[in-house]
Amino acid sequence: MSAESEDVPLYAERPEWSDVVPVPQYQGVDALAPINYSAEYQDATDYFRGIIRMGETSPRVLKLTRDIINMNPAHYSAWQYRYKTLIAIGADLTEELRQMDDFALTNMKTYQVWHHRRLLLTALRSRDAAAGELAFTARVLAADAKNYHTWSYRQWLLAHFNDEERLWAGERAWVEDLLEKDVRNNSAWHHRFFVVWSSGVREGDEDREAVGRRELAFAKEKIALAPNNPSAWNYLRGVLEHTKTPLSALTTFVQLYTVSSPSIAPEVMDLDNPVPTEGAQLPCVNALEFQADIYEQEGGTQITKAVEIWKSLANEYDTMRKKYWEYRIKEGLQTTHT
Amino acid sequence: MSESSSLPRLNRNGHAKLAQLCLSGLPFTQVDLDSSRLAIIFYCLGTLDLLGVLGTKILEAQRARWRDWIWEQQTHGNYGAGFRPSPYMTAEDHNSEREYTEYDGPHLIMTYTALMSLAILRDDFAKLNRAGILTFIRLCQQDDGSFSALPNGGEADLRTTYCAFVICSLLGDWSGMDLERAVAYIRRCSSEEGGYGQTPDGEALGGTTYCALASLKLAPATSTSHWELHNTSAERLRTIRWLTANQSSSGGFCGRTNKIADACYCFWCGASLSMLDAGEFVDTAALASFLGQCQFKFGGIAKAPGERADPYHTYLSLAALALFQSPNTDESWRLPRLDPLWNATLETACWAREHIPATKSNS
Repeated sequence: MSAESEDVPLYAERPEWSDVVPVPQYQGVDALAPINYSAEYQDATDYFRGIIRMGETSPRVLKLTRDIINMNPAHYSAWQYRYKTLIAIGADLTEELRQMDDFALTNMKTYQVWHHRRLLLTALRSRDAAAGELAFTARVLAADAKNYHTWSYRQWLLAHFNDEERLWAGERAWVEDLLEKDVRNNSAWHHRFFVVWSSGVREGDEDREAVGRRELAFAKEKIALAPNNPSAWNYLRGVLEHTKTPLSALTTFVQLYTVSSPSIAPEVMDLDNPVPTEGAQLPCVNALEFQADIYEQEGGTQITKAVEIWKSLANEYDTMRKKYWEYRIKEGLQTTHT
Repeated sequence: MSESSSLPRLNRNGHAKLAQLCLSGLPFTQVDLDSSRLAIIFYCLGTLDLLGVLGTKILEAQRARWRDWIWEQQTHGNYGAGFRPSPYMTAEDHNSEREYTEYDGPHLIMTYTALMSLAILRDDFAKLNRAGILTFIRLCQQDDGSFSALPNGGEADLRTTYCAFVICSLLGDWSGMDLERAVAYIRRCSSEEGGYGQTPDGEALGGTTYCALASLKLAPATSTSHWELHNTSAERLRTIRWLTANQSSSGGFCGRTNKIADACYCFWCGASLSMLDAGEFVDTAALASFLGQCQFKFGGIAKAPGERADPYHTYLSLAALALFQSPNTDESWRLPRLDPLWNATLETACWAREHIPATKSNS
């Protein structure tokens, strides 16, 4: 990656750069948090300032900015000037993406890496390129399934190019695969919500009631596998809220998870209400909370039942949030009395 | 109480030493901080401010030199005025009277951290180019209401939105932004879980939830931006639910559902709860216990137990502890009170309020 410094001469020593006047960095007096630059970095950035002063945009600028970025991936001016140069010389932007693939994989937490790709894709205006980027982000997420920058970039690609057939079509199956691998991957759950609910209606998803049923069934199945998984419960709540369905629509399901010991397996499998997997830790805090919310939503005398649950959360099952549950009790009682 | 007896002391000297060490210089392995140096400086100065050593252990002459260096980063030109991250792109032969060049201009996040740093150092702000900064903010705002870090490019997300809102509130002048569009952008970042993503459509994240809530709360009350309007009872409860759920069994907060706790989210999530008048739901004893374990043996606080300390996690951990004092801690854990919106001690916030806005004499 970065220059094997012993073998590579400094820019100051290269005849092909002798026409550039290097511009040293201003030091100032008593610098705050000064960085102890290496000779290679100082040399390359001196020539970079020199190039900017000349206003040169040429293939050698790509080499220079790449050297700087290798040493300092967060050097946003080098990224900016690199992009400007790519456009000015009419460089092959797809080739630039490929050249930056490995770099992005090793520096995936650097913002500039993704911002650069976004600029390139915007300039390319190509759905083929966007489809290629979906594949690339899938590779990055295979290495780090929760990388925030990568997810943001993928969501941007989908929304920006907005192509049902080429881009959106495979999205739900792909994210389902990620949830197969790790059912607690909240980024994947959120992405599913984005794809199915908050980004418009996908082709084949026009019957929203059917989609609602499918999504609830999906979340319930995942909860049955791992009941104490807040990501799945949050998804469930998100779907109900989005479709304006009362929480009580899930009473039968939720009650399977609020008991201390699992009920005896029903003789007839109820596909709408999958039972907790064997050995699951019950009762499940998220289910208790959900059940109390159902009672609160129903109001009237049901509030007493909600209060009972909140008390058990405060004193037994979720003591870290004791004060929060006590607040819910107070608020709940106040609403019934007014 | 067994909890308090197992709690270590807050290593105040060690944490102050790390901040001073970083201010005196950074090794080349941290060269990636060069383009955000004023942010690191803010975390270091904030640490010293919270620990109360700026006025006692650091000489006024030293503080004056630090202020001078920060003022050197203020620059003006084509896109208005603001602060650079550092002179990392500044030419040796530059003339501070002349306008900046295209690649050595101000940065929105750095302008926020510079103002807070100068307030910490009790500057009189006589040199502040107020009108230039307002122009700069205006030119950073994009069509969708967001703000880019640089007028000619760079990231645009809720972090930059927060910085723009803080700067306008510090100046007491909102003429630098289209508030309605800015608020609309914040709303688009709201996620189904109850928190806010970094950009529209993003997964709920502790840091950017803080940025969203603080911005909405800092905004002046107008018909379209009123805090209550955007924080209805149901929405507020949903956000509180998500935030409290982020305090994990370790006592620390995670930034996203199902992630492990990280010291910085003790501040981002905790301060968010404070803004929603729900700070009391934080388990302060568990929080102190977690942050106590995040202390690095040679000073500084790390993102998690066993990790290496850095100025960012050190400052935000102390800021969280300043907001949430646990009754079970000894005197080493006492910290001054903090303004959760500006992310500064009350004294520093008070100084900023008195010295940053334009007056007849300085405008």
